[in-house]
Amino acid sequence: MATAKLKEAIKQPWRGQLIRFVPYIAGGIILVVLPAVLPSYLQGIWTKFVIFAIFATSYDLIYGHTGLLSLGHAAYFGAGGYAVALLMLHYGIDSLWLGIPVGILIGAAVAAAFGFIALRVSGMYFLLVTFALAQLLFSITWNVRWLNSPGMMGIAGLPRPDLGIPWFSWSTISLYYFVLVIFLICLFLIYRIINSPFGYALRGIRESEPRMRSLGYNAWLHKYIAFIITGAFAGLAGVLFVYYNRFISPTHIGIMFSFLPMIMVIIGGSGTLLGPVIGAMIIIFVEYFASLFTPERWPLILGGIFVVAIMYARGGVSIHLSRLWEKVSYRYGSV
Amino acid sequence: MEAFRTEGLSKDFGGVRALSNVSFNVEVGEHVAIIGPNGAGKTTLFNLLNGQLPPTSGRIYFFGEDITTMSTHHRAHLGQARSFQIISLFSNLTVLDNTLITLHGTKRSRFQMFRPTNTYKYLLAKAQEMLTTIALWEKRDELVKNISYGEQRRLETALTVASEPKLLLLDEPSCGLTSAESADITDIIHKLGRDITVLLVAHDMDLVFGVAERIIVLHYGHLIADGTPEEIQADPRVKEIYMGIEENTGNATAS
Repeated sequence: MATAKLKEAIKQPWRGQLIRFVPYIAGGIILVVLPAVLPSYLQGIWTKFVIFAIFATSYDLIYGHTGLLSLGHAAYFGAGGYAVALLMLHYGIDSLWLGIPVGILIGAAVAAAFGFIALRVSGMYFLLVTFALAQLLFSITWNVRWLNSPGMMGIAGLPRPDLGIPWFSWSTISLYYFVLVIFLICLFLIYRIINSPFGYALRGIRESEPRMRSLGYNAWLHKYIAFIITGAFAGLAGVLFVYYNRFISPTHIGIMFSFLPMIMVIIGGSGTLLGPVIGAMIIIFVEYFASLFTPERWPLILGGIFVVAIMYARGGVSIHLSRLWEKVSYRYGSV
Repeated sequence: MEAFRTEGLSKDFGGVRALSNVSFNVEVGEHVAIIGPNGAGKTTLFNLLNGQLPPTSGRIYFFGEDITTMSTHHRAHLGQARSFQIISLFSNLTVLDNTLITLHGTKRSRFQMFRPTNTYKYLLAKAQEMLTTIALWEKRDELVKNISYGEQRRLETALTVASEPKLLLLDEPSCGLTSAESADITDIIHKLGRDITVLLVAHDMDLVFGVAERIIVLHYGHLIADGTPEEIQADPRVKEIYMGIEENTGNATAS
């Protein structure tokens, strides 16, 4: 009886209008309201999730949209991160206003160099070349002493960035909101890019490169530009990661960190704006819970998630979520 | 006026000579068909003309300009357009997206990164006009893989002429179509007008004789006949190839 009444009430036109905003409200609660009331260690997890959402979104630009399967994405992420960490370690520069542009530029520059080599081949060879180049960078950070804190692997004990405001000091939640704002800016920029003629061209290249060439598109140049853009966003994610983590090591350039954005995009749904974000959320939160109970079994769990996602949620979780949403809104929302 | 000319064009794939010393020229506005049995080198010739493959030797001139080593996308900007033998439409994109990508191809806006594609009103209007002509406007939001084969062919042919090319390379435009649909293609080609040069490869003799003013016959990579449809029909060597009677070489694998 009560549900019938509820349905009746929900079918009112103004309710139908309201229901369209439910996903935005849910997103707002998860991203904006909830972190404010959570304990500080969970705020940290949220920060990590949002940073990886930027990282995965950047990966989706070349994987989901352009169709290039790369396994070297951590190189640009790590290069951006190392750039700001080295500025702090050797030069004592911890200004955020310098750190972020430098990280973006270094990420883009490394992508420009790697892309120049890797884009000469395609398919599986492209994957292998990007992987090899990222491993090269990994081994450089591993072996060059200048790239590490004295007496250890990686750069540790990094300060929080300096905003240039004297009375301001960072807290977990202020860092979170800062990262969130950058994330929203990135999401907006990527949204614009994927809806522009350039973004359409990338999807055309994904579908059929010979056809794109005979239509007058310089396919190589489009891919190269996309590669540099994705490197810039990944470099930015690396900078934010260093600000959050206050430690960076060769591991952050390694295969695991190249694999993470790939798996996030595949699980969340490639070629969509929402997919990589959902994928990052799933992976980071599951990783957190796994670390509470069985920290040493995380790779096993990650593999399990991957298999389940490939078998039962092909196309990505976000596709299923939006389909579910269509059903719900059709049922309650349409008048 | 000459639209294009090839001089001694050859292409080797490893040890196999797919095209050997092919020279011909085509005048502006001519409708030329290239025929020949399977494996005669027709698609290879197309790929050389369009720049998908580099020739092993020989040169290609397009409106007097040497384009032998020019990339495919540059040739598109000069006014070449081609359709593919196997439908190569972007099957996971919608009909409208396919059209918009095609229309942006020869515009500077193809590198534009921050302006949404659907704000280019004049291109959108052009897309609407084009899709209405081929009765696909109602299906503009369907993914291409979900429309019928005949509709895909129609879209492919319409998109090939969309960039208002000077030279149209059509590779098997009627492949897999019913005879009525094939007649539509013949109609489209007839409507093109005299400033567009058409070069087509086809197996469908109704299409070839319905469209072509001149026919070029390839056989094992060699150009063996070049003339009007009547001359070609009367040519004894062409009869040999198509009837499978090989008097001189005793090799009758042509099918």
